[in-house]
Amino acid sequence: MVRAALSSPKRFSQGPTRFALFVPAATVVASSLLAALPIISTGGWFPDFGYLALISWRLLRADPWPAWWAAPLGLVNDLFTGYPLGFSIALWSATMLALDLIDRRTMWRDYWIEWMVATVLIAIDGWLQWRVTRLSGADVPFAMMLPQFLISICAFPLSAWAVSRVDRWRLGR
Amino acid sequence: MATARPGWSRRAQYGLFFSFLAVIAGIVIGLILLAVSIISPKSFEGIRGAALDVTGPVASALHEVAATAEGLVTGADDYWDAARQNGELKRERRALMQRMVEARAIAQENQQLRAALQLRQHSRDAVATGRIVGSSFNSPRRFAILSAGAKDGIRESMPVRSADGLVGRIIDVGQLASRVLLVSDRASIVPARLLRGGIPVIAQGRGDGTVEVRPLEVGRNPFKPGDLIITSGTGGLYPPRVPVARVVKLKDDGAIALPLADPATTSFAIVEPPYEPAAVAAENEPATEP
Repeated sequence: MVRAALSSPKRFSQGPTRFALFVPAATVVASSLLAALPIISTGGWFPDFGYLALISWRLLRADPWPAWWAAPLGLVNDLFTGYPLGFSIALWSATMLALDLIDRRTMWRDYWIEWMVATVLIAIDGWLQWRVTRLSGADVPFAMMLPQFLISICAFPLSAWAVSRVDRWRLGR
Repeated sequence: MATARPGWSRRAQYGLFFSFLAVIAGIVIGLILLAVSIISPKSFEGIRGAALDVTGPVASALHEVAATAEGLVTGADDYWDAARQNGELKRERRALMQRMVEARAIAQENQQLRAALQLRQHSRDAVATGRIVGSSFNSPRRFAILSAGAKDGIRESMPVRSADGLVGRIIDVGQLASRVLLVSDRASIVPARLLRGGIPVIAQGRGDGTVEVRPLEVGRNPFKPGDLIITSGTGGLYPPRVPVARVVKLKDDGAIALPLADPATTSFAIVEPPYEPAAVAAENEPATEP
């Protein structure tokens, strides 16, 4: 308290940034665009960056964007990553709905519960990707999805941390 | 849908209800689009191509940056090591001169033999060349992004090869970039044959950067580690005699092979027209011809 009082006077211009409403959605689009990185890999071990950003935001706050925005954001992700069109639209909308239902049920949550919820969502994402891949004529063994699953789980805390930093910046705290 | 209980405000209650409906609509639309894109993968060509035109140039630019940075690092390293490299290069040059003379002699002999056999050199025009600038590194599918598109004359289902061997075929085309289905994708099937003996085989991707090769005729496993697989030209899409893969491991009914053209180290990829376009067209559209 004393230290805070002695420090330089607070800036008057403090407050949310001008585009605070659109920053979360913009970061999700930027994460989807990570698929354009010039990484040429012969194994799909990298996490689904767009989905990680989406669930990080949604677990951090209940209202990062109006819930229906998940559909257009998913469309952008599908187009940039080359997933079959409609996959992320349906999955991301369903995720928003599922997390709203979870929000109503849970009495309290902490970091571990959020990580667990994220793990379940990432697992569902991976499993559905595998199913859709099989349906579209490429029946890869499920074991091939496991490295991506583990890496995504480990990447979630990083993504959650980055998102919380962006959130603080956008709200001007 | 911010909070579970919007309170007594009618407006807030309606807002909650309508956003719930909007999300349900999003799920339904997504599922319909997904079903359409699984049943007929070509339905969203236009929009997918447009998206490629956004990501393709970004990937190309980033690829250039990465290559430049790498070049600077190795350049500095080379400078540091100049004297030793100089000596080594001189030695190499001497050895290469000898090899070149030998090669010239062989080429001459080859020409004479060809003339004797009246063999026609089957040269094929490349449609376009491009760099491989990206890949589907977060998906179980094996796609690569090529920095050339419809503007350069690329059309769907054209074979792509590099100096080392077959890379794959084009599946999505944008104006500036295109997407390549690599031979290591599970959905990629290449009619091929064994270089040694010419036994017809099928090379199917495994999704993890390798391909699985199986003989067409059931019987003894014809593969040996180190065997080369080349395209057979059957089906009319891929040109014949393009190297595909090298066998690394034997299995019960076939073998696992490593593609010779590694997309990560391929500097230039060459797009060629389909080998026999008529055959490919007939195969793709059997329904239109009654």
